[in-house]
Amino acid sequence: MSVFSDIFFGGLFQGSLYAMMAVGLALVWTTIGVFNFSHGVFMMLGAYFAWQLVAFGLPVVIAFPLAVIVMAGAGWILQASVVRPLIGRPNIVLVVVITTLAAGSLIENGALTVWGPRSKQLPSLIEGNTTIAGVGVSLHQIAIIVITPLVLAALWSFLNRTRLGLALRAVAQNEDASQLVGLNVTALYGLAFAIAASLAGLAGIFMGGYRFMNPSMGADPLLKALIVVVFGGISSISGPIFAAYLIGFFEAASNYYFGLYWTPALLFLVLIATLMVRPEGIFASRSRGLA
Amino acid sequence: MTLLDIAIPSAPGRVTWNREAIGFVAGFLLLALLPLVLGDSYSRHVLIMIFIYAIVASNWDLSLGYGGVFNFGHLALFGIGVYVYSLLAKVAGIDPWIALLASGVTSTLAAVLVTIPILRLKGIYIILVTFGFAQLVMQVIISQSDLTGGTQGLVRVPGLYLFDHNMIRDGKLAYFYIALALLVASTLFLRLFVRSRAGASIVALRDNEEYAISRGVSLVRQRMVTLAASAFFTGIAGAFYAAYQRNASIDVFGMSLATIILSMVLLGGTSTIYGAIIASFVLTVFSEAMADFGAWRPMITALLIIVIMLVYPSGLVGMIRAAWALVTERIKRPA
Repeated sequence: MSVFSDIFFGGLFQGSLYAMMAVGLALVWTTIGVFNFSHGVFMMLGAYFAWQLVAFGLPVVIAFPLAVIVMAGAGWILQASVVRPLIGRPNIVLVVVITTLAAGSLIENGALTVWGPRSKQLPSLIEGNTTIAGVGVSLHQIAIIVITPLVLAALWSFLNRTRLGLALRAVAQNEDASQLVGLNVTALYGLAFAIAASLAGLAGIFMGGYRFMNPSMGADPLLKALIVVVFGGISSISGPIFAAYLIGFFEAASNYYFGLYWTPALLFLVLIATLMVRPEGIFASRSRGLA
Repeated sequence: MTLLDIAIPSAPGRVTWNREAIGFVAGFLLLALLPLVLGDSYSRHVLIMIFIYAIVASNWDLSLGYGGVFNFGHLALFGIGVYVYSLLAKVAGIDPWIALLASGVTSTLAAVLVTIPILRLKGIYIILVTFGFAQLVMQVIISQSDLTGGTQGLVRVPGLYLFDHNMIRDGKLAYFYIALALLVASTLFLRLFVRSRAGASIVALRDNEEYAISRGVSLVRQRMVTLAASAFFTGIAGAFYAAYQRNASIDVFGMSLATIILSMVLLGGTSTIYGAIIASFVLTVFSEAMADFGAWRPMITALLIIVIMLVYPSGLVGMIRAAWALVTERIKRPA
């Protein structure tokens, strides 16, 4: 029974982190129609901002939310500087890939200059350990497993229940019509990026609490988030969330049965096979066209 | 789609064959004479690296620019070249020149393989699958560490040879000319390809897929041909890179190299071939000139890429064309 609960718990934990990252990517894709390759760097930046605020002597309860808010600003700035000027160009998808990659490299090297290459660690959300169903886990991990669904539920109700959230989805569906009914499309683009950056920053804070942080810590989560959004379907918010947990469980099981080295290769094989059969992702509706 | 401003610069037969041939020969003769001026092995090393980057970037321009296929696994094709050469020449002990050729063939086969899953896909989905393909190749290489050295890479990979010539003590002269010869062969091949009927048909597929298909262009065959054609010299460049550096490392699959090469393609201006080559000169020389800046170097490079992408969407070639148009205008009508 311990093996099963090991896999179950590990999958739940990894899935939470992936969901947090992937939702931001999907949000930006559905709203603006570009892929943000500096998303992993946002994650790193959030963790470092939080670390800096804690180092200034702020208590964790203030420092962490403050870092998330600062990240929203960072997301807005990035959008305004490297994405907004390109909107309307025929090859925007490709050009934004290169500008966000370059911006990511700029921020990553900037972080390396400011904070240095030495590994750092954030304080845990909750200190201490416990044992559930024969598996020893830290309370920090439990906190992540509990907080993530709450944050995602809050995001879901924001997108579906508030005027602002509905406006965001309207822009995602039809930009021209949204402009015609008087929505501020530019501001909504900025908002999408700000929310995505905040979520990535929060994921970074989660990660910094149980693993050492360094300026390139965002690269691997970005990759996993990419798999998740492809797997779950890129044109919705709920698809990637389910896919994140599914991939979390898959990874935990594969780590156990096939070993750490084969897991990424298996994951990519599953991804490519999925795309050959269902290019729109397994949780997406068939009706949406590919673009 | 704004068909006109995309299609015209790359329309086949716009510059006459004679004019292009003269420019081609003159340009590469100039490069061939460079070692007379640059005697030190450092500047020759920089030039060799530029030639390798130029091959990879200009071949990428074929699939990305002309074909409109967002192949983000292009560097994996380069990496396959690096590892196939290293394994064949070092572990299997095959003659380096045959290993070089085999690397190009293997990369071409890999490109055909990766075309299969992307035949039904478009745009961002192609980016994601090819990106996944690159990661898959890298993971396989890492996991087979007893053969490939895993993350440590392979060292003491055999270099190339030319008769009895001493390749090490000639100030990199032999490697310089081999690299230049590869670049000439690759560029000649690419230009012939894009000016041929096949080249015209892949541009047609990019600009108006439905119409091109209705006129009898096969999407499946042409997409496969495009990727395979862009892979051969990329794989050879990878093999040459391994032979020249005498090692194989997993770094070739990294994001930083992909970013640099991709920015060469976009900086030069897509669908030109020559643009990518010019941009690899500009970017590499620029990056070498900033060697003293240390940690600031990648940041300045990144900033430069962003600024150029924002200000000159058509890249360096667009800049040169605009300047040229201005000059000829002045000559025709003196103010």
